[in-house]
Amino acid sequence: MTISSRGLERAWELYQDRLPYARMMASQGKKIIGYFCCYTPVELMTALDLVPYRIGGRTDEPVKEADAYLETCVCSYVRSAFDMAICGEYDFLHGLVVPHTCDAMWRILNIWKLHKPLDYTYFIEVPHMVGPSSCHFLEQELKLFKNSLEQLVGRKITDEALRDAIDTHNRARALLQEIYQYRKADPPLISGTEIARVLAAGRGIPVEEFNELLLQVIHDIRTRESESRRKKPRVLIYGGEVDDPAIIELIEECGAAVVMDDLCTGSRSFWEPVNLKENAMESLAAHYVEDIRCPRTFRPGKPEERFLYLLDFARDFNVQGIILYLYRFCDGHALEAPGLKAYLNRKGFPVLHLEEEYTLLTKGQLRTRFQAFIETLG
Amino acid sequence: MADNTDRKKENRTQSARNVRPLVESMYLRAHQARERGQKVAYCMVMSQYDEILAAMDIVPVWTENYGGLCAALGTAQPFLEKAEAEGYSNLICGYARTGLGFDILRAENGEAPQTPDGGMPMPDMLLGSSIGCDTRFKWYQALGHYMDVPIYCIDVIVPPVTRNLYEIKDFYVKYQAEQLRGLVEFLEKTTGCQLDPDRLMSIIHRAEEARHWWWEAQQLCRAIPAPMTARDHFNIFVPHHFMIGEEATLDFYKELYQELKDRVDSGIGVVDNERYRLLFAGGLPPWHSMGIFSYFGSLGAVFPAQLAYPPPDPFIIPDNINDPIELMALRSFERFTYRWEQAHRGCGDFWVQHILELVPEFNIDGLVMHGVMSCRATSMGQIYYQNAVQKYAKLKTLFIGSDIVDIRTYSEAQTKIQIDTFLETVETYKSNK
Ligand code: SF4
Ligand code: SF4
Repeated sequence: MTISSRGLERAWELYQDRLPYARMMASQGKKIIGYFCCYTPVELMTALDLVPYRIGGRTDEPVKEADAYLETCVCSYVRSAFDMAICGEYDFLHGLVVPHTCDAMWRILNIWKLHKPLDYTYFIEVPHMVGPSSCHFLEQELKLFKNSLEQLVGRKITDEALRDAIDTHNRARALLQEIYQYRKADPPLISGTEIARVLAAGRGIPVEEFNELLLQVIHDIRTRESESRRKKPRVLIYGGEVDDPAIIELIEECGAAVVMDDLCTGSRSFWEPVNLKENAMESLAAHYVEDIRCPRTFRPGKPEERFLYLLDFARDFNVQGIILYLYRFCDGHALEAPGLKAYLNRKGFPVLHLEEEYTLLTKGQLRTRFQAFIETLG
Repeated sequence: MADNTDRKKENRTQSARNVRPLVESMYLRAHQARERGQKVAYCMVMSQYDEILAAMDIVPVWTENYGGLCAALGTAQPFLEKAEAEGYSNLICGYARTGLGFDILRAENGEAPQTPDGGMPMPDMLLGSSIGCDTRFKWYQALGHYMDVPIYCIDVIVPPVTRNLYEIKDFYVKYQAEQLRGLVEFLEKTTGCQLDPDRLMSIIHRAEEARHWWWEAQQLCRAIPAPMTARDHFNIFVPHHFMIGEEATLDFYKELYQELKDRVDSGIGVVDNERYRLLFAGGLPPWHSMGIFSYFGSLGAVFPAQLAYPPPDPFIIPDNINDPIELMALRSFERFTYRWEQAHRGCGDFWVQHILELVPEFNIDGLVMHGVMSCRATSMGQIYYQNAVQKYAKLKTLFIGSDIVDIRTYSEAQTKIQIDTFLETVETYKSNK
């Protein structure tokens, strides 16, 4: 750790204390609303002073109780998150919002409700296709979601409040973009592990607070004492809800610099801002239909066109190797991976394709795989 | 394939026996159509577009069916292995792995594998959808890496059960219609032919008539003894799912109805001594080992109903809709929400609601669910269904675990032990009823 790292330290603390911190906010009267995936329009919650809390799991503990309620064919991220709920770790939640993003998301809400009733729940039907009719459909869906949140809180979202909320979230997106730019240097000015911790901290606090944290982090990076740091192989990590910074840390311990990601918990959730036009709800819907590059959304065109953005990432961040870090039983990513791997290989990028459990109880084998791959990158 | 268990005990319907030749002719016709230059499309079941294809003379090849067929005939293994060697996880849908393996072999060898049923003809287009599972559009996207044909996918949208139907109906139906119209536009461009709305309308009417007879036939299965074996249930859905709109399909369901009616009128059952009436209430059948249902039968257990491929719920075509696409979109909404209001008022889940309706109607004594390791869509929630049902009916559930295609995860001996134990608990339930 360098001497000027107040923001980074704060991020790490916030991440580690995310559950007590959320409990504290709840005890102070804040309504904390849990949500899954990048497809939940958090702006609507922010506009009503609700605190959106991205549901995570625990990679450092085995699933304890959830096995009795969830089939083994469900991805272990969802199993772990649900296990935390069953064990009471999410009792601070006032509500839960689930968008229909994958098959697991489609089913989890009813299961959760049966075993852990909540005051408020909402399921958003998100189109799997893009295009004007999908945007229009989601706009209608989001209007109903907005109504339901308004009923929960007992007041309306004014256009001004919504625009403010979108601006505030866009600010977070822009600040994160700025931080990511510091990864382009070689060696990067901020490590992948540090960024993962910042992102993780942001998933459990109000966005205004997150923006302050991001400004502090940017300040930290700019005023860091320069260290004579060794250049390392530059790696991009691709996958789903890889929410524990420990994975990135492990890759970096194995000798690489993680300089870019395409993860649900990373760039995928913030890379594009909401393009705020006259009609705020329409802008929001268009953003959630079109802008998020997740395999759960089908995009027409030649099959490989859907990977172009990733090629841009790899080139812009001067990446030498790519790790596809996928969870077992995640169909969207599993069906994407072989085509993606072949494509990236053809473009000259070595690829390590892993299919893992969400829990990280034994790191030995994973460490060996990472090390072997990183060694080949020179 | 493990399909020789206690066959002699079965009293199968002629209708179900007629299905296999129909399937053979379906693949043969698809090959012939391809040779004639007619357009062939790979398709996904339940995508709500079936009648459009029929009206445009596009020959559908149902790739999930091919997966099931390969499993039932024991020919899936090389395809599964090929897909896995290519990097596809052994946890993804067994049908998708079979189909991908098949087409990767075609791409590598320059010709398609010939078995079973001559293989699937090379398609001119891949038509996916988002109905029911992620695989139904991701599979074709993946396949696009091995064949240079256009891919088109549509959303098929299922309303969440918690919603007020009156509030959402208009925009759900509108979106569905827009998705179907987008598909028609794509098909017209790809085939160079125009959709004839009158022809489509008449195909829809014929299809609905077939659905009506299937539904009526299913109602006959309320009879004690049950007139149709489980394996027959898992066969007779085939003409509907893969040949809808054809005259032969309509005839098939009329004949099925008549055959079951004759059986019911004469008191002919599936087994000599029917003791237990079970509902196949979750998952898809283990196509690799369908003989296991005969084992149930040999112990006096029958399946009067199943939820893997139930007949579509009744839908009356309104006379005030002239646009067939509008009608199809409305029909899709009405069918998907058929028991939403009851579910909304009661148990809160449409699947559980369906089980709760069938239990008294078909005199059900126990539930059987097949946890399919490679299918989240039909397997996630089975424990929940069992738990939710308990609030209303103290039925026991047998959970069998394997796959739809991949036999490597299945143990027949163990499954039989599970069945024996389960039927003992059903016996207790019945005597306490
Ligand atoms: S990891 Fe995959 S299967 Fe699990 S919730 Fe995320 S997208 Fe769905
Ligand atoms: S429902 Fe299951 S078996 Fe059918 S295509 Fe989807 S994943 Fe495969």
